[in-house]
Amino acid sequence: MIRIAGFSVLGLALLFLLGPFLIIAGAGLSAGDILVFPPQGFSLRWYAGVFEIERFRESFLLSMELAVGSTALALLLGVPAAYAMARYEVPGGEWIRTIVTAPVIVPAIIAGLALLRYTVIPLGLPVMAALVLGHTALVAPYAVRVVTVSLTHLRPDVEEAAILLGASRTGAFFRVVLPNIRNGVMAAFILGFITSFNQVPVSLFLTGPGVSTLPIDMLAAMEFVYDPSIAALSTLLALMSVSIVLVAERLLGLSRYV
Amino acid sequence: MFADRRIGLALAAPAMLFVGLAFLLPVGILLSESLHAPSGWTLSRYITFFTDPLSLEVTLRTLRLGIGVTIVSAIIGYVAALAIVEAGPQTRGRMTALFVLPMMISPVARTYAWIVLLGRTGLINKAVVGLGLSDEPLRLLFTETAVFIGLLQLFLPLMVLSLTSALENLPADVIPAARVLGAGWLTIFFRVILPLTREGLIVGGTLVFTGAVTAYITPAVLGGAKVLMLETLLYQRVSVANDIATASVIAAILIAMSIVTHSLIRRMTGMRRAA
Repeated sequence: MIRIAGFSVLGLALLFLLGPFLIIAGAGLSAGDILVFPPQGFSLRWYAGVFEIERFRESFLLSMELAVGSTALALLLGVPAAYAMARYEVPGGEWIRTIVTAPVIVPAIIAGLALLRYTVIPLGLPVMAALVLGHTALVAPYAVRVVTVSLTHLRPDVEEAAILLGASRTGAFFRVVLPNIRNGVMAAFILGFITSFNQVPVSLFLTGPGVSTLPIDMLAAMEFVYDPSIAALSTLLALMSVSIVLVAERLLGLSRYV
Repeated sequence: MFADRRIGLALAAPAMLFVGLAFLLPVGILLSESLHAPSGWTLSRYITFFTDPLSLEVTLRTLRLGIGVTIVSAIIGYVAALAIVEAGPQTRGRMTALFVLPMMISPVARTYAWIVLLGRTGLINKAVVGLGLSDEPLRLLFTETAVFIGLLQLFLPLMVLSLTSALENLPADVIPAARVLGAGWLTIFFRVILPLTREGLIVGGTLVFTGAVTAYITPAVLGGAKVLMLETLLYQRVSVANDIATASVIAAILIAMSIVTHSLIRRMTGMRRAA
């Protein structure tokens, strides 16, 4: 009896979490001009039409570039930092860890506002540079954490052996350590990419006229678009994230690093 | 393992300098603004904020929603997590994946679904009018209830996942043992399960609470200008009136809450490692 009750609550919780996606996916299939569920008629015109909307196409590309660029930058900064903390006795190591992971603690909208007022405006930075700064800082803690996890799975004696056999420390890092933590670095890249691509609050204050990320553009469009195009776009984005995550789980075992 | 401190420091320095200069410094300046006034250092910005009826209302609503979402997700979370753990290992993995998956999807897309469901011509209103429960559509969007539902959907997975991992670490025989000794289900929950999974509850609870009080998208889309939370109030004050005084005080409140909850989590996970 208790068991049946437990499983029904579990089922209802999953319905509550996943059901809304079925609703927007369905609403996007409507043949009519207004957003309703159940859809009126059936057509793929809104799904096809999304690709025709200039605004969304531009901001989609910008979000892609931003997510790839800032995650790559975060990894360039984060991998050496994670390696240093895992393998060297760094003076003040706990402090360094606290500083590098601090962006997790600060709500992103506040970081965006602070960056705008005290960095971007005084230095006259262009919008894209501002966005890269904000997103890199937000992604960096994830990069450090995920790479640290995979470094703890790699025994240090492997490198020691390489060094004893005559490899330089740099050589040992690139030829022994990096190939072994490759999956972790790729998992960090995927998590960072998704974090940056879906990120809204940090970009709110940093986006400028004509230069906007896709989620910010979608938020703005919700106020005046009443046709099913945003539902179709949301569904496509959800499918994109889900397929990236599923592929990554198959190839890398993403969940070991989360 | 490598003793050379200089190399270690040199490897960690770029990340530290980047985050320090590009992130912590500007945030620090913004925070210091909250203690500033033309006359020097003062608490006057906090006094103004907490004596303003709107700011006070928004602060209380944010806390109310944060606490409410945390409690409801803990109740649903325990039942769901117990059911997940009860199932076999294969089902357990699949169920966990089903709770992880929505967290990877854009919160904008996740929130938009509720507009379709809760709008004047949405599914719920159609059902209400169709069943004759009400003559005209109910106003569901732009209410605190809508924001509550949206937040619960966004953060429930965090609670379910922390409670699932806490329950997985529960020794397998404690519940049967309590049953043999004649304990009822409520006694088992409050005297056995709850004390043994307290850490998971606190970790999940703080993640849900911080997530909910610092949410922007949900109140912006489902609450609008009528149901402001701290972050939407901050955005509105800055973009409409360039009001840095209010923004800096909100920043200080949110960061303070965030630091408290994160150190709580850190202590909890540290305890587990020590034990």
